[in-house]
Amino acid sequence: MNASRLEGRFAGLQIPELLAARADTIKAWLAEPLTKRLGTQVAIIVLGAGVYGATLGLWRSPLQALYVALKFPLILLLTTLFNALLNGMLAQLLGLSVRFMDSFRLILISFATAAVILAGFSPLTFFALWNAPPLTDTLSATREVYSGIILMHVAAIATAGIAANIKLLQSLRTLSGDALRARLILFSWLAGNLLLGSQLVWNLRPFIGAPYLPVEFLRPTAFEGSFFEAVLFALRQLFAN
Amino acid sequence: MNPADQPPILPQAYPATTAPLPLGTGPGESEPIAKPTQAIEAMLRQPRRLVHQLRQTGGGKLILQLTALGVLCVAIYGVVVGTFSGGDQLWAAPAKLALGMLGAGLICLPSLFIFSCLAGSRASLKEVVGMVAGLVLLMTLLLIGFAPVAWVFSQSINSVAMMGFLHLSFGFVALLFGLRFLSQGFQWMETRSNAGLKIWMLIFTLVVIQMTTALRPIIGTADTFLPQEKKFFLAHWFEQMTGQSRFSEFAD
Repeated sequence: MNASRLEGRFAGLQIPELLAARADTIKAWLAEPLTKRLGTQVAIIVLGAGVYGATLGLWRSPLQALYVALKFPLILLLTTLFNALLNGMLAQLLGLSVRFMDSFRLILISFATAAVILAGFSPLTFFALWNAPPLTDTLSATREVYSGIILMHVAAIATAGIAANIKLLQSLRTLSGDALRARLILFSWLAGNLLLGSQLVWNLRPFIGAPYLPVEFLRPTAFEGSFFEAVLFALRQLFAN
Repeated sequence: MNPADQPPILPQAYPATTAPLPLGTGPGESEPIAKPTQAIEAMLRQPRRLVHQLRQTGGGKLILQLTALGVLCVAIYGVVVGTFSGGDQLWAAPAKLALGMLGAGLICLPSLFIFSCLAGSRASLKEVVGMVAGLVLLMTLLLIGFAPVAWVFSQSINSVAMMGFLHLSFGFVALLFGLRFLSQGFQWMETRSNAGLKIWMLIFTLVVIQMTTALRPIIGTADTFLPQEKKFFLAHWFEQMTGQSRFSEFAD
């Protein structure tokens, strides 16, 4: 494929427009039929979050990288899909006068924005992994290095999430015409998405992959327990010691 | 005085008074609600239209529609609740939730009518029944929205207490929106004071919570359909919290 064709395909994704999230662009996108941009946005999420996901799993092994490249976009897409009904209802109840599917599209746009930002971070996280001792070498890959890598990913994901949500808030403010209402809607969407997203992360673990456990798509205990039970367990352990 | 000396009068962005417009004067509020889909749409997007239509001829039919929809929605959510334990709970949980929701509404209905009269509301008994039916429908619609999330959790969580906490949280959010609808509805019906309504809201919340204990088990299982031992919900919760705490191993 030559450079101009590649450039043409990239332009079709409208990445700069997505990242700028100008009010008129978002309004124009919402006015289009759902199917027109749905495929593009899903593709952006699959590619962007997939590339970043690969760097999450690569430290453990290339196979783990492949698994996480599939699982990471899946979390974003399932969260959007499963919460679509709830988010649509909350938007209407909190006074956002858009169609039901528009809430779904706004959230999809926000996840696509986060995926693009994550894709942008992936060379950095790859570089960090390249400089880290192998995870399989338990002597050199100390607990400190492991913690450092985890913190780096947390920072990258948090930055992408915050930036995407700021863009979403701007869109909501434009659509609702009220800053307080926009904040309320964003907060309600965030609460629902974080609740479900964290549980899906728990179900679809491992991501980095513990060095003493085998590389696998899902753990045998994938559907046992919950993220919140694990947090409670960790807190109990912390205060018990 | 020369009018040129005076600053021009700027148009007000919002009406000077905060009093709500009379029902039926807003756009689309006079359109009758015939189909269940219209009732759902009005509940979410045009609650004033719904309240206005409750006061018109045919309000009784609308109340029946709201109630039937509420029962259907809570039953669907009940099936999701039942998936945690499976087996008999797949029919018992929806039946108990539908029964509990209707029961809570009926138990609290007389007190709401009394409080609304005390507050100077012009709402008739039929309209008060309609408001409660609307409250139940909005709550159960939101529960349907939470159903996919609840299903995901019910496939993974082992602890009945944890699952119960989640369902209660979803119910609480739904209740907040339902009570907000009720409060707004009475404001639109020119209620003078909100104090009695606030007390009623507290009573309704307590009744709904107690229903979950009175009709237990809804999430877990038991040998009998209804409990053999009577308990206040706080005592039941305390037992659940201290009795079971099975946690999974830490993630990787």
